[in-house]
Amino acid sequence: MSSILMADVAEELEINDVDLVARTQDGDPRAFDDLVRKYSPRLYGLVYNMTSNHEDTNDLLQDIFAKAYRSIRGFKGKSSFYTWLHTIATNMTINFLKKRSRTYKMSLDDVDNGIHNDPEFLELTSSPDARREVNLKELQVRLNEAMMKLSNEHRAVVTMFDIQGMPHAEIGKILGISEGTVRSRLFYAHRQLQNHLQEFLVP
Amino acid sequence: MNSDVHKLLRLKRYEHPTPDYFERFLDEFHDRQRSELLRQPAWKLAWERLVDALPEFRVPRLAYAAVGAAAVVLSAVILVGQQDEGLPGTALALNDPRPMVNVLPPGRGDVRLPVSSRSEFPPHYVLEARPVSYESPYSF
Repeated sequence: MSSILMADVAEELEINDVDLVARTQDGDPRAFDDLVRKYSPRLYGLVYNMTSNHEDTNDLLQDIFAKAYRSIRGFKGKSSFYTWLHTIATNMTINFLKKRSRTYKMSLDDVDNGIHNDPEFLELTSSPDARREVNLKELQVRLNEAMMKLSNEHRAVVTMFDIQGMPHAEIGKILGISEGTVRSRLFYAHRQLQNHLQEFLVP
Repeated sequence: MNSDVHKLLRLKRYEHPTPDYFERFLDEFHDRQRSELLRQPAWKLAWERLVDALPEFRVPRLAYAAVGAAAVVLSAVILVGQQDEGLPGTALALNDPRPMVNVLPPGRGDVRLPVSSRSEFPPHYVLEARPVSYESPYSF
């Protein structure tokens, strides 16, 4: 039942996107503003978790929406707008990361207080098996450091699947790879992350 | 999938900017768009729009190079053609309405030149390089 409801909501969102895209293509800039409002939080999460830097994320996000606005007349609706926009965002972020200096500094956002009520965080901090007391700031830094040790392509898959909760098929469409490749990249990335985050994992 | 790693990574959802960030983001987007338009020359904007439109066709990158090379070759052919047409002799021979006659004796070949009437050319005279009267007299 809930999956049917979710599908209905997704379909409604998609219809809304189709309307907003059509109005933007007809020259209504306010329709594009609505698309920016709708997708900026989600795209922020995608870019931020790939760069671990707030300022870089802000600049990239501006460029991503500028490029989307310039290109939207060419969008023919072969994929959903969501997929199309995420493809632009991922490609631009990976291109940016290839050029970024290796000596960059992390610039992390604050962690929302809501984390203290998260069942997974509670499990991590209150489990008798936990190897050490978890310091939130340290956990954040270590998570980001571990993520940045992954290749750009692996980090993209981990960000979309583990952090943003996208299905494998959607990730495959965005990156232009098969679902099998998405799964194998995830497997490899998780194995690497497990090594880097050993001390935070319950044995 | 490693579920422990997955659970840890899920906690990254709680990292996000301050709530007013996204309110300011759209204003900043408008400001940047305006300043971009004012700063860039028209040809650069047009070029960017063209480049942005191209990837939608999903044409392989090499195809762009092939089309570019073909355009260069075609331009060269057109330019050379125009230069050939521009040679005065060629144009004169092609467009000359006068009848042509073979200037070689019969059986020696065929070289045709237009018939000219005397009236078409102004009279001309060949003067000796040195008038006779200016020659120094011989003296022995």
